[in-house]
Amino acid sequence: MFSRLIYRNAKRSRKENLIYFATLVTAVASFYIILSLGRQDVILFLKEFESDAIDKLLAYMPIVYLFALFLLFFLTLFANRYQLNRRGKEFGLYLMLGMRKERLVLQLVAEGIVTSVLALIGGILIGGFLAEIISLTVSKLVGQGIIGHQISLSISAIIMTVIGFLFIQSLALVILGGRLFHQEVHQLLYEQMDKIQDMGHLRGNIFHLLAGAVLLAIAYWLILYHFMDFGGLLLFVAFVLGCLGTIIFMRGFGRLLGILTSLSERKSTKGLRTFTLRQFQENIANKSASVAITSILITLSIILLADGASIFIGLENTFARSSSVYDFTVNGNDQEVEQFLTSEKMVPYVEDLNFLEIGHMKEQGERGENDMPLSLVDWSELREQLIMVLPDSYKEQFLSGEVQGYTISSENPEALNLLGTLEIDTKAPYLIPESSYNGLLKTIGEKPLNLQSDEMALYFNPDFMSMDNLDSFPVLDQILEVAEDNGKSLLHINDQAIYIRPFLPMKGLAADRSIEITSAFIVPDAMFKQLLNEETYASYWNFRIPQKLQDEQGLMLPMMESRDILKSSGFEFESYLQNFGRKLFYVVAGSYATLYMGFIFLIIACTVLALQFLTQMKQTGKRYVTLSMLGANRKQMKKSMHRQVMLTFLLPMSIASVSGAVGIKAMISFVMVNVDDQGQLYPVAFAFAALVIAILVIYGVAVTRSADHEIDKLRWKPDID
Amino acid sequence: MNKHGKLLEVQDIQKNYGKKNNITKALKGVSFDILPGEFLGIMGPSGSGKTTLLNCIATIIKPTSGRVLLNGKNISAFDSKDLADYRGSRIGYLFQDFALLDNLTGQENILLPLSIHGVDFAKAQTKLNELAGFLEIKDVLDKFPAQMSGGQKQRVAAARSLISDPDIVLADEPTGALDTRSAKMLMNKLEEIHKNSKRTILMVSHDPNATSFCSRILFIQDGVIFHELRRKHDESQEKFYERILQLLAQLGGGSANVL
Ligand SMILES: Nc1ncnc2c1ncn2[C@@H]1O[C@H](COP(=O)(O)OP(=O)(O)OP(=O)(O)O)[C@@H](O)[C@H]1O
Ligand SMILES: [Mg+2]
Repeated sequence: MFSRLIYRNAKRSRKENLIYFATLVTAVASFYIILSLGRQDVILFLKEFESDAIDKLLAYMPIVYLFALFLLFFLTLFANRYQLNRRGKEFGLYLMLGMRKERLVLQLVAEGIVTSVLALIGGILIGGFLAEIISLTVSKLVGQGIIGHQISLSISAIIMTVIGFLFIQSLALVILGGRLFHQEVHQLLYEQMDKIQDMGHLRGNIFHLLAGAVLLAIAYWLILYHFMDFGGLLLFVAFVLGCLGTIIFMRGFGRLLGILTSLSERKSTKGLRTFTLRQFQENIANKSASVAITSILITLSIILLADGASIFIGLENTFARSSSVYDFTVNGNDQEVEQFLTSEKMVPYVEDLNFLEIGHMKEQGERGENDMPLSLVDWSELREQLIMVLPDSYKEQFLSGEVQGYTISSENPEALNLLGTLEIDTKAPYLIPESSYNGLLKTIGEKPLNLQSDEMALYFNPDFMSMDNLDSFPVLDQILEVAEDNGKSLLHINDQAIYIRPFLPMKGLAADRSIEITSAFIVPDAMFKQLLNEETYASYWNFRIPQKLQDEQGLMLPMMESRDILKSSGFEFESYLQNFGRKLFYVVAGSYATLYMGFIFLIIACTVLALQFLTQMKQTGKRYVTLSMLGANRKQMKKSMHRQVMLTFLLPMSIASVSGAVGIKAMISFVMVNVDDQGQLYPVAFAFAALVIAILVIYGVAVTRSADHEIDKLRWKPDID
Repeated sequence: MNKHGKLLEVQDIQKNYGKKNNITKALKGVSFDILPGEFLGIMGPSGSGKTTLLNCIATIIKPTSGRVLLNGKNISAFDSKDLADYRGSRIGYLFQDFALLDNLTGQENILLPLSIHGVDFAKAQTKLNELAGFLEIKDVLDKFPAQMSGGQKQRVAAARSLISDPDIVLADEPTGALDTRSAKMLMNKLEEIHKNSKRTILMVSHDPNATSFCSRILFIQDGVIFHELRRKHDESQEKFYERILQLLAQLGGGSANVL
């Protein structure tokens, strides 16, 4: 009897409460997806050559797990609270009929277990399915056919999901059950509503509204114009201000809405307009904080989803070789390496073998006033020329000596980036002998330099310059060309006039970023020997996988084979694979994390909105009976209810859209340098915006359905439920 | 008005609750007429079928058999769309528990039937002022129900039931939740409305205090009408009250049977 009651209740609450159950299932699925991350194809693949980074990522998993646990706890708490509120009357009746409270709680626990088990089964199935799909799609998108597929099912993830979910579910039930335990029967039987219609004073409301708007505006301003100031501290300030602003704004808005309703109805009111607005007002004003929080969550989710999407766009850059030319860089005793690379084993994999020498320039023997060694380089003429071509605003700062430090950014004019780089690097610039660079030029099919003894070329590493167009420096080339035509020298080394060759094709010097050179002077071999600071000398062997092999087998496979051979040789080496792997790692880890968080926030926000609405609907169901007594037909009532749902979702959504747009704008200009082509961003951003809207609509429709159901269920007789 | 001059005709109404083997015959054939401008009371002991009868007339429930004609129209056979047109516009309701929407102000509550029926209430403004003045609720028009007393709430509800000039006002125990003073005030107002504007009112109550304001009373027991009492033309309310008490005493060993 007792067990049948439990079973029936559990079944009924699933049926009656699709949203509640769906929320639990979502929670379980989200757990599983994040926990099974380690079994995803891409991660397994990356583990092979970026194992450090992956291990680091996986070491963070407990933190991510706890964070997800924390967030999902609120989700289940909210869902359960809604569920218990719904059934307060039923519990009150049980108690009235003499059921002991202990037994009621016991029954709740039993019901909770049944529901949880079903939610776990459903959630793990859905989560497993989603994880599998994600794994397949990502490996297909990223893997270029080299990532094999493995079933992502993970037993440990399932176990952790079960433990985590049961933990938060029982915690939520303990908290809520405890509250139930201490409630009077009366409270249960006659669920209290927020009866007092506290509208506050008009002036106070307008003050709230204005204060909220001002706080939001300050937050927007900080984010748009001072994003990076004080090491991100202002970002935090802006976030806090934004949250406060949203909460205060909502507070003022909800109450003002009531006053606006009273004012507007003096003119005309058709149908259930007043009622609709009052219902909406009640939902907002009495719960302004939670509405504001959903708005903030939606904002965060919009920003996170956009960010995740942009990272994912960056994926293409992962494959684009951009500046990098070589596939491998080997480091070691020059002769031994050369011997090995030309040995029979390696020959099939080696093309365009090139010997790269590099080192810093010597410094002057005497020291400057602050005891720093003085540079041999005098580039004041070049500096002057670069300042001349700066946009006016920067030029003034430079001429008045206001400029203190430099940031290299794609937002900056080219000349500013060059100035910044040279200012730092000319103290003791890197030197590259002409012959080394000629090898590189030959590899990419360019003519050798053939420098005169008083000539050099300026090299800037395209990877570090964050320029929109990686291989040309139009401003610099213009200056150099004019100087060349006039036979003017812009630079002196050791008091000797040196002429700089324009139009140097700039490519990555080695296979990986391990050689971190921002800029260098390419000088004739004789000058290299003469100016080199011997202590800083280093040399590398670079080569590419032969084009023919690539055409036959793709890049990845031969690269992985030669990597295995090199590994056995014991030489230190870097490969483009690492570069690729690292980029891929950032893309995958970054987009996974942000997209995941974005969706969780969105789902929490939607659930809170949905359940809040349905709770109100349930609590005020009698009003619809009264309306029907006054002649409102179901169509009218449903229309009013649909409006309420729309307004309920639109209000937080609209503020979130503004805040989200500001956030995205700031991110585009300050963070997301990895998006080269903003045109690419729009389709993806649009797709994700559509996705956000689709999720909101799904929730809206679900809420509407349930509410429609409630209206259909209404009994005309006013004193019977 | 139909040709007989009857506003409401209740013709042999029967109402059964429940299924075959567990049937409750709440009404076993009830017939009566209401003339325009009448203030009819219905009295009877608990479970006698008063609320059932009123709900049948109010179209809240469908009678098992029989007809209810309002101005000659069979409203018991109306579909829900026609019913919606009648509710709140041709028929006004007054409930024991007021049934005000607690998130609407007094004024919004009163005007609700008009907006539901899409009536432009620029014109209704005078009517609202008049009713509010008469029912002494002017100062609670901008308040929410939670901020009103019980009597004020019921008078707001009364204003709501009258705002659309209904053909008939149906009231089920309107004084049930009120204290004596508020009840008396409400009944005084209803009687005055009945007298001055010839409004037809049908009220169900088991309180002789309340029904003594009516012009005619029907007594119902076990689902049938078994007696009728008419207030004489110049009979005072107090006298009529005495007569009702007398009748109740005669009918069945004191009021316990009826009240
Ligand atoms: N929804 C229902 N289902 C089944 N039986 C019902 C229902 N409503 C009323 N009844 C039965 O019909 C009979 C008449 O009920 P009704 O509510 O009309 O009485 P009443 O005269 O209004 O009583 P009271 O003075 O207590 O309000 C009662 O026997 C009651 O049990
Ligand atoms: Mg009754």
